[in-house]
Amino acid sequence: MTKPNTGHINPQESAASEIKSYATGFVISLILTVGAFAALLSDLPNTWKVVVICTAALLQIVTHMRNFLHLSFSGNQSREDLLLVLFSASLLAIMAGGTWYIMSDLSGRMHQTGESGSSSHRALAAYSNNGKPQQVWLSNVPLSRN
Amino acid sequence: MSENSLYPGLNLGDKHGDAHVQAESTVFGFWVFLMSDLIIFGILFAGYASYLDPIGLAGGPGPKELFDINSVAIQTVLLLVGGVAYAGVSLTVKYGHGRGNLVAWLLVCAAFGAGFLFFEVRDFISQAGKGGTPQVSGWLSSYWTLVGLHGIHVFCGILWIFAMIGQVATRGIDDVVKVRLSMLGVFWHFLDLIWVGIFSFVFLVPLA
Repeated sequence: MTKPNTGHINPQESAASEIKSYATGFVISLILTVGAFAALLSDLPNTWKVVVICTAALLQIVTHMRNFLHLSFSGNQSREDLLLVLFSASLLAIMAGGTWYIMSDLSGRMHQTGESGSSSHRALAAYSNNGKPQQVWLSNVPLSRN
Repeated sequence: MSENSLYPGLNLGDKHGDAHVQAESTVFGFWVFLMSDLIIFGILFAGYASYLDPIGLAGGPGPKELFDINSVAIQTVLLLVGGVAYAGVSLTVKYGHGRGNLVAWLLVCAAFGAGFLFFEVRDFISQAGKGGTPQVSGWLSSYWTLVGLHGIHVFCGILWIFAMIGQVATRGIDDVVKVRLSMLGVFWHFLDLIWVGIFSFVFLVPLA
């Protein structure tokens, strides 16, 4: 998409190709954004909505990196921006993914429904209600987000 | 180092001479800073996802009660257009189309950024009015922190744009200004990229 500026390229031609690159990025982003919102408002099953939204987001992030931030493997680039970004993204995947996994696993272990007799659950309920009449924490909060 | 090997991306081009060479290391340094910013945002995303369950909501208002999907769509379009408008700045500098055009493009970017902030702050106010203040639940704390931090970034970007307009007016488009405008470009496009994550994972996924 991006070409090295060798100085042999006609400036006007080069400007036109850059404008085209930005315009392409803009149109793709717009389509992906509309797609994500349309998926939300559609009658698709929830799982599919989430799949479409996540896919559109990832594709749009790639589009932004390629067309707006001009990150690319091609060309003789000496600045290794893309490698830096990919390295940071892998660190982030470990930290953010790990956080999410540990927290959801912990949540699953501590707040399993049905086991109202479990001592840890009772202790938590008593603690979190802070002297108010014991109420089962989970039963009055809708479990489903939908 | 041959000129051909210089970075082909958001750059100035050979005829900018020293500024083009200087942009190599300076803008790369700015990328390193932005990646630390990316880590902060990423961890906040992970926190938000962790709190998105009944325990995290703690009986407080949830996504369905608080999020206004129309306003999110408007903000998304404003930020996307504002981000793409920075192409006008980059290309004006690169191909030497003069100060007037440059300042005009910068003002366009700032205007879209300000429009975005207007709708975001309006949403925050209405959410607070519906009882969705940050101290109500862990989920709301993480929501305000993540989206608020992005909003502060956009605000800082607008301040930076006005600082650059001042520098263009007083110094002209010299080497220092060119390199700074390149960094501002990376910053401005990066905020747009973070917003893609926010509107998808913070607003749309919980509503799905």
